[in-house]
Amino acid sequence: MTAAPFPARFNRFVHKNTMPYLFITVPLITMLFFMFIPMIVSFWWSLNDYSGLQPAKFIGLTNYIQLFTNDPIFIKTLVNTTLFVLMGMGIGPTIGLLTALLLNQKVRFQSVFRTAYYLPVMTSLVVVSTIWVMLYNHNGLFNSIINGMGLAKVGWLSNPNIALVSVVLASIWQGFGFETVIFLAALQSIPRELYEAAMIDGAGSVQRFWNITLPSLRHVIVFIYIYGIIGSYQVFDQIFVMTAGGPVYSTSTIVHYLFKKFMDLQLGYASAIAYILFAILVLFSFIQWRFFTEKKLEA
Amino acid sequence: MIIRRRPRKISVARLLAYLILIASSILMIIPFYWSVGTSLKLERFVFATPPQWWPTPLTLTNYIHVLTRIPFPRYFYNSVVVAICTTLGNVFFDTLAAYAFAKLTFPGRDRIFFIFLLVLMVPSQVNLIPMYRIMTALHWTDTYLALIVPNLTSVFGIFMMRQFLMSIPDDLLDAARIDGCSEYKVFNKVVLPLAIPGVATLIILTFMGTWNDFLWPRIVTNTERLFTLPVGLAQLQMKNTSNVAQIMAGTVLTALPMIIVFLFMQRQFIEGMTAGALKE
Repeated sequence: MTAAPFPARFNRFVHKNTMPYLFITVPLITMLFFMFIPMIVSFWWSLNDYSGLQPAKFIGLTNYIQLFTNDPIFIKTLVNTTLFVLMGMGIGPTIGLLTALLLNQKVRFQSVFRTAYYLPVMTSLVVVSTIWVMLYNHNGLFNSIINGMGLAKVGWLSNPNIALVSVVLASIWQGFGFETVIFLAALQSIPRELYEAAMIDGAGSVQRFWNITLPSLRHVIVFIYIYGIIGSYQVFDQIFVMTAGGPVYSTSTIVHYLFKKFMDLQLGYASAIAYILFAILVLFSFIQWRFFTEKKLEA
Repeated sequence: MIIRRRPRKISVARLLAYLILIASSILMIIPFYWSVGTSLKLERFVFATPPQWWPTPLTLTNYIHVLTRIPFPRYFYNSVVVAICTTLGNVFFDTLAAYAFAKLTFPGRDRIFFIFLLVLMVPSQVNLIPMYRIMTALHWTDTYLALIVPNLTSVFGIFMMRQFLMSIPDDLLDAARIDGCSEYKVFNKVVLPLAIPGVATLIILTFMGTWNDFLWPRIVTNTERLFTLPVGLAQLQMKNTSNVAQIMAGTVLTALPMIIVFLFMQRQFIEGMTAGALKE
């Protein structure tokens, strides 16, 4: 390349050094105004008694202390949300893996089955919840079937002991297809030679599963659990539509309670709830980050 | 290499596999089937005993009601406008920023990108309340601006596209630069065409996320005129608990567009979903 005359070179220099910033301007501004500033403001409000109508009054950690020591409903939402996560993550990914393993057996109509599992995943949670509210109705399909078998009707969403489980069931139905699809793709990327070599060595199907399939899926399993846990801790739509947190707070979750406090104009209090949620999620993000950086160091 | 199979044993296992797959698929389809069926029933037969597996008489009154008495066409229009604008914004801005982060060198690049990644960890609920206050301060509540502008770019989209663009060889870009292309022209003429598979994924994920989003549009809209489909449906479900058939008609109308798009672009959907998970 021959050197360009001075003005052209200067223009090129300016161009090369301003264009990149121009390219990231919009995301930078959006992030600044809609994420960074709100994040800090939110933290500040969590240290204040703030309704949004009157000026904020600084009260230090009072909101946090109040939440943990003097708000049994908040503790209940923490427990409920954790139960939701444990039940959902205990069952969902397992169903996902099982269906993926079945689909991976070179079955016919593989894509038809996959579509059936995946359909609810791309359907809005509001839609899914609305459908399940109908199914769970006192005279709905489930109770009709149960009644037809001669059993007593179940108060799926009205019995405080059952309501959370009912919401979990609907959520698993909605979400496990995502795991099916991810696991299936991961299974298909395991080299066939590994299995062939194992078969020559006389390994049975159970041994092949434990020694080849599961270790190969290690990465994906961690991904699914961490993202699943982070996503489930933020559960809101299903609760809002199906139970509105009831009966008697038996299905109230962290984000639903945050929403409620926001509606009650306890903005400082709601912000403190948001930050507690944030802290929980950071914990899981940290675990994931540790796992993947460890992986890179090994390689 | 030929591996001898024992045909009988395998066929039994196969049969069992098919049985489980078919049974579970039916379980997946029943709620959808029941929703469509109910939307075509007269209200008084919705909870009939024994349950009506086939709607008799078949009726469209619920759809007519939802489309004429409740502004579902309006919700639909809002959802389309918001989803399309948000998707276009993300395709352009995310890819452009991703290009800068992946292929250009400038002071502070890695530091800025690191801050982006940190922000990605913050759950949206943390920003929710201050964001709402910003919207009221700007007088953006109950306007398309509140529904679209905060989501015009996404850190996740930038991150994903950056991963994708890193795989484009630098030589190609240098060749275009030597030919005298400006950085924007390099982006427009060389990078974008090569990035189409990645962009397809971005389009699908953004469109789906926006179409199904609930909490944010629920908070920043108060008038029916601005409701998106999920917000309108939730509203219908709350205030009209008695008429399940009409609610189901609304449910079908809300879910159908996404399902149609999905059935036509299934491969891209699945690839989009798996891309993020398997690349890590």
